[in-house]
Amino acid sequence: MDATASDLLLVNVDGRTANVPRGTTILIAARQMGVVIPTLCNYRGLSPYGACRVCLVEIETPRGGQLVASCSQPVENNLVVHTETENVKEARQTILELLLAQAPDSRELADLAAGLGVKKTPFQLVAEGKCVLCGLCTRVCTEMMGRGAINFIGRGAAREISTAFDRTTDQCQACGACAFVCPTGAIDLRTITKRRLKPHVTGFDKFLTARPCIDLAHPQASPRVPVIDRENCIHFKTDQCGLCSNVCQAGAIDYEQSEETLQFKVGSVVLTPGFEAFDATRRGEFGFGFAPNVLSNVQFERMLSASGPTQGHVRRPSDGRAPKRLAFIQCIGSRDTGCDNEYCSSVCCMAATKEAILAKEHEPGLDVTIFFLDLRAFGKDFDRYCDRAKNQLGVHFIRSFVSRTYEMPDTQNLRVVYADGDMKQTEDEFDMIVLSLGLEPSATLQEQAQQMGVVLNRWGFAKTRELCPLDTSRAGVFVGGAFQEPKDIPDTVMQASAAAARAMALLAPARGTRVRTKTYPPQRDVTDEPPRIGVFICHCGSNIASVVDVQRVVRRTRDLPHVVVAESNTYTCADDTQTHIKDHILAHRLNRIVVASCTPRTHEPIFRDTLRDAGLNPYLLEMANIRDQCSWVHSGEPGRATDKAIDLVRMAVARTACLMPLSEASVPVNNAALIVGGGIAGMTAALAIAEQGFLVHLVEKSGELGGTVRQLHETLDGEDLRAFLDRTIERVEEHPKISVHRNTSVTKVEGHVGGFTSALRTKNDLVTVKHGVVVVATGATEQKPQSFGYGQSPCVLTQLELTDQLYQGTLKLSDKATVVMIQCVEQRNTERPYCSRVCCTAAVKNALHLRDRFPKAQIVVLYRDMRTYGFREAAYREAREKGVLFVRYEPEQPPQLDVNGHLRVRVREPSLGRDLQLDAELVVLAAPMTPRADRGELSELLRVPLNADGFFLEAHMKLRPVDFASEGLFLCGTAHAPKFVTETISQANAVAGRAASILARKQMSVSGQIAWVDPDKCISCMTCVHVCPYIAPKVNEFNKAEVQGSVCMGCGSCTAECPAKAISLRHYLDAQVLAAVGGLLGEGFGDSKLLPLYPEQVGVAPPRWHKS
Amino acid sequence: MADEPLILAMCCHYCAYAAADLAGSMRLQYPGNVRVLRLPCTGKLEVNYLMAAFERGVDGVIVAGCLEGGCHFLEGNLRARRRVERARKLLAEIGLEPERLEMFNLSSAEGPRFAEIVTTMVERLKRFGTSPLRPDPTRIERGVQEMNQQAEAMLAGDKR
Amino acid sequence: MIVADRKKIPQIRDMVKNHRRVLLVGCGTCVTVCLAGGEREVGILGSALRMALRLQHHDVVVDECTIERQCEDAFIDILAQRAPEYDAICSLGCGAGVQALAERFSNIAVYPGLNTQFMGILESQGVWTEKCSGCGNCLLGEFAGICPITRCAKHLLNGPCGGSRGGKCEVNANIDCGWQLIHDRAGKLGILDPFEQIVPPHDWSTGLDGGPRKVVREDQCIAGLGPKS
Repeated sequence: MDATASDLLLVNVDGRTANVPRGTTILIAARQMGVVIPTLCNYRGLSPYGACRVCLVEIETPRGGQLVASCSQPVENNLVVHTETENVKEARQTILELLLAQAPDSRELADLAAGLGVKKTPFQLVAEGKCVLCGLCTRVCTEMMGRGAINFIGRGAAREISTAFDRTTDQCQACGACAFVCPTGAIDLRTITKRRLKPHVTGFDKFLTARPCIDLAHPQASPRVPVIDRENCIHFKTDQCGLCSNVCQAGAIDYEQSEETLQFKVGSVVLTPGFEAFDATRRGEFGFGFAPNVLSNVQFERMLSASGPTQGHVRRPSDGRAPKRLAFIQCIGSRDTGCDNEYCSSVCCMAATKEAILAKEHEPGLDVTIFFLDLRAFGKDFDRYCDRAKNQLGVHFIRSFVSRTYEMPDTQNLRVVYADGDMKQTEDEFDMIVLSLGLEPSATLQEQAQQMGVVLNRWGFAKTRELCPLDTSRAGVFVGGAFQEPKDIPDTVMQASAAAARAMALLAPARGTRVRTKTYPPQRDVTDEPPRIGVFICHCGSNIASVVDVQRVVRRTRDLPHVVVAESNTYTCADDTQTHIKDHILAHRLNRIVVASCTPRTHEPIFRDTLRDAGLNPYLLEMANIRDQCSWVHSGEPGRATDKAIDLVRMAVARTACLMPLSEASVPVNNAALIVGGGIAGMTAALAIAEQGFLVHLVEKSGELGGTVRQLHETLDGEDLRAFLDRTIERVEEHPKISVHRNTSVTKVEGHVGGFTSALRTKNDLVTVKHGVVVVATGATEQKPQSFGYGQSPCVLTQLELTDQLYQGTLKLSDKATVVMIQCVEQRNTERPYCSRVCCTAAVKNALHLRDRFPKAQIVVLYRDMRTYGFREAAYREAREKGVLFVRYEPEQPPQLDVNGHLRVRVREPSLGRDLQLDAELVVLAAPMTPRADRGELSELLRVPLNADGFFLEAHMKLRPVDFASEGLFLCGTAHAPKFVTETISQANAVAGRAASILARKQMSVSGQIAWVDPDKCISCMTCVHVCPYIAPKVNEFNKAEVQGSVCMGCGSCTAECPAKAISLRHYLDAQVLAAVGGLLGEGFGDSKLLPLYPEQVGVAPPRWHKS
Repeated sequence: MADEPLILAMCCHYCAYAAADLAGSMRLQYPGNVRVLRLPCTGKLEVNYLMAAFERGVDGVIVAGCLEGGCHFLEGNLRARRRVERARKLLAEIGLEPERLEMFNLSSAEGPRFAEIVTTMVERLKRFGTSPLRPDPTRIERGVQEMNQQAEAMLAGDKR
Repeated sequence: MIVADRKKIPQIRDMVKNHRRVLLVGCGTCVTVCLAGGEREVGILGSALRMALRLQHHDVVVDECTIERQCEDAFIDILAQRAPEYDAICSLGCGAGVQALAERFSNIAVYPGLNTQFMGILESQGVWTEKCSGCGNCLLGEFAGICPITRCAKHLLNGPCGGSRGGKCEVNANIDCGWQLIHDRAGKLGILDPFEQIVPPHDWSTGLDGGPRKVVREDQCIAGLGPKS
């Protein structure tokens, strides 16, 4: 602003005036004033060229109007410019007609023409014409890249773009910038460069697609900002280009950024580095890396993603055709001693099943086969999922190991050889193969971990003990996720929360010491003020302004009711604009704000903060999304995009006029936890919560703590569970923050997250406790079988009983006894269609133990699928190596046991196709793990659901595995699903981590956007109580419904059903929603209800009139 | 614009609205006939809103919520589907094509599907033609002006 | 609770199409609870009716209003001043409400917007079942708390007919046999013995067959305002 007057020239564009520096072109001056002029051969960062003449404007000269190219014409003092005169329009149209004739197939040109009202050209089309000689390519090549590989040759009609001597040239660096800027697609790089063209592939899409040199690394990238691919960026390679810094008007491009080393002092470290997929080229026999139609499962996962390289369509990389037959090959790089990965990767069976289902959903008619060894569907409801794939969707599961694939040279199909059900060698051909790759820790990871002093196990994962699954070898360093052992999402999420709890226990003394709170000015009371709306419409650089005529939107908005200020900003979210908004709020006494810019999903918090800073309630803001849902998606239709933007702003303004300030209440949090169940899950959770400094009420219905773990003795690794249990009980009993309630049951739980009141009943006492969270850890038991002669013969035991006898030393067997273990007893059937997860490993553990004690005994395990997932696979291998016999049976032909006299087992061996007969001295049954009998009562008491098998149902299988849907309620241990002790310990710690996120607060704020019942209108019909998934409405002492604010999640389901319209969802009141709908069609602005024409009657609620 | 269908899309915040944003980030192009109204959840969708929209003259309504089983609020989208079914029956009784209203389920990652949904609905509504209840465009202008006068009266301190 | 459901839009449209101004009147009690005639339904019907009328080019104004209870004159009073602006009223109350409005507004046409169904209860969200026929002579004490008149399709008082199949009624396999329910419950309560006795024919004189009924409480009657004979 300090520039001298002579440096600034006064220019008038379409009636608007501004002072601009000397040398500015008309185009730039107009843009600064918010006037949009269409351009074609103009490009930010490239010198103006004036080739296309699309940017013609009319300037006033003493000789009358004159048409000039605004991109190259500099302004003069007192210049008067008109951009929309008839002359200009006509000239532009003619120019576009000519251009269209020259490049009839160009979409970009057609869009530009349509925007200027030219639908088709009257001129003769140039055959195969494309180039319109705009010169963008030559300018970018010369000015930006410093190359000059192409230029104009010839004159007049023979003028064209070419390389020197019309030959491919070394001058070209194959950067593709010319093709990028070309508006008509006229550039064919192959005719220019001598180099081999290859796309820059993206690691995230697993090399299936190309990526630009500036891009979000992946859609979920955090922070969500694009980064430059330095390996391929021309600027970093040659110091040329720099086009992006010219194009980005926000000035966000910073080539100087470099790696920084930051130092932090921390009290604890959590390692969650994840895993890498097995390098499939190490198993070259499957064709990965050279047969294009052999994909890894990670690639296939990307292919199935709606935002992936093929938008979710299954396509063969070789020819882009949809495959007809697809096969998965399991266990590539897992359970494979040949590549030192003898563990099972745990997730691939389910991942392949899921991908098979998705593939079938995406491509109906696709035939999918999965070649597998054991179907390891050991998780909660996994067997049901596989059954659905198999029986409802017709995915073929073939139990056979495929040793290699053969690529067919003509079709590029893949041929596989396998043994079918009858053990006959069979050949089959597939269009596409997906390899289910194992999970591995990468070499870099292992190196980093070792640098941190963390000991790794023999496969390179972080070494942990089964009873301390979160603690690495170094104190204070914890681990979560697949770096500890391969695991799926629910287990990973669980373990991550658990690691957080372990870390938080260490950090408890320092909690809250580094918190800074922002202070805001007091909020202005606007309830009695009529709406005074300020509308701020964002150009978003050129993101919006290049498509939407922002000035037209501003003009149309100014006239809307209640609008006091309407203006446009280059970047509304920029700091200076925010200050500007605050100034406007004060200067014009604005009490409601509309920001028309990008999506509220990312920017609403920012602008709400602006309002708070200016002393306004944050809920008095509304955003109109004119970028993500308008300019970006209608870039070819500027006229209609502008119409749409006007509508969207009008809707927002109409709604805003009805917005009300909302207060965010807060409720105090009772920093105690109630844990139901005193088994290992409950005790671990209790300790983990208490160690973080919170009180715990641990309720056990029996007389002693310990639960099912009392019947166990050792973990698979040989850790002493008895001693561990005793130590845990001792710690629980001695902990000052834990009060143990034995012989106690919970009889009443009332209240909501942060403020529960529960009644605990002992034999002759009733205690009331107050707490902020509830943890369900009621566990499960081994169900005593009803079949296989259990109970009829003392020689038929369950696995738990065998364990007990083995460790008590009471088991007596003859020297060469035969022991038969039958797996999957009374489970994985129609009655109990789930897997108890632990029995296979229990059988292996007991078999190994028997092998030690009775070296000459014959041990036979009859199984359906050996589900020794993760590192348990090593024990399974060991058992086989030590001569334990594993015999598979089909569920259709289960083993038969004769208990009269000798125990005689008869079983059909499917691969031999023959019956085996075993005279057993001892038969051991893998009985199912079933939830506690009293689960139903607890489920009703807490109003939390059970799944079909009677286990408690978490809020979300994958993302919230230890939470119930209702806030403040958690679950862990075998009450959730069958699991190992080590997993129970993880989950119990996870609960502590999640619970602490509530207990650590003194107050919990309740969102302002919640439902509210008008008691005068409520007719106590109970509809809301039936409808709410969170049980937020309750009937109060006046027999009226009342929504508990801290329970309500604000979904509005009750408000949409209430027949008396007594419930409203704050911030989405009927009037507000209808105003937006009305605003769209110019109806119902400021929708004021008609006042009744009759006197108010005593004792009669005023009726609800409203007029059409 | 007068002969182009005008579509209101009631989108849930968590999935459908996010998918519409993603379509933007992906620069997918779809017809500019749709105006998105954001709801916290399709569970908030009231039959009254659907009726109000048609009464005021929109040509079609898209209701878009999360995938079934994927609702952020557990079952809002399932309840919304039933309400949409009811509203469609009402439309048939009224004498409007029930197909002017349709509910879709999509995840926040399905930007392309959002574009596809809009495209399908626009094509469908072009076949049906403009809603016979659509006010003529000048009435919209007039409505705005009338309301503006009222508002100005209010701003001038002349409350009620 | 009185349970009702809405008439089809075309039927309501045809009733009111020849009027100029129609007032929709909802009722805030039973029919609101059974989701048929509360403020929400009035709003939905209002929109629907305006659209249906406009589509057939009938120029009819439709306004909406919901009152606390249509079977009470004091609440109807609220309409009294506005009602003369309308030449028709469409009531979303039960049959009693419609008639109460008709009695009050002698110059205005009154139409029913609902079909009044029965006295019943909410079985599960969205499902209502009939429980009482209002026979005026309650027998529930003798039948283990389950009404044979309402719950047995044939109103039998002396045990089930021969059509009780697996606990279901032969008239409609979707409804429970009332007598099966009575028998089961009485068995559980250990009061099956009285069922040995023959129940004499029901006294239907208190039922609908004797014309519209009246209940009179002398002590409540206000002098000079006694029951209209």
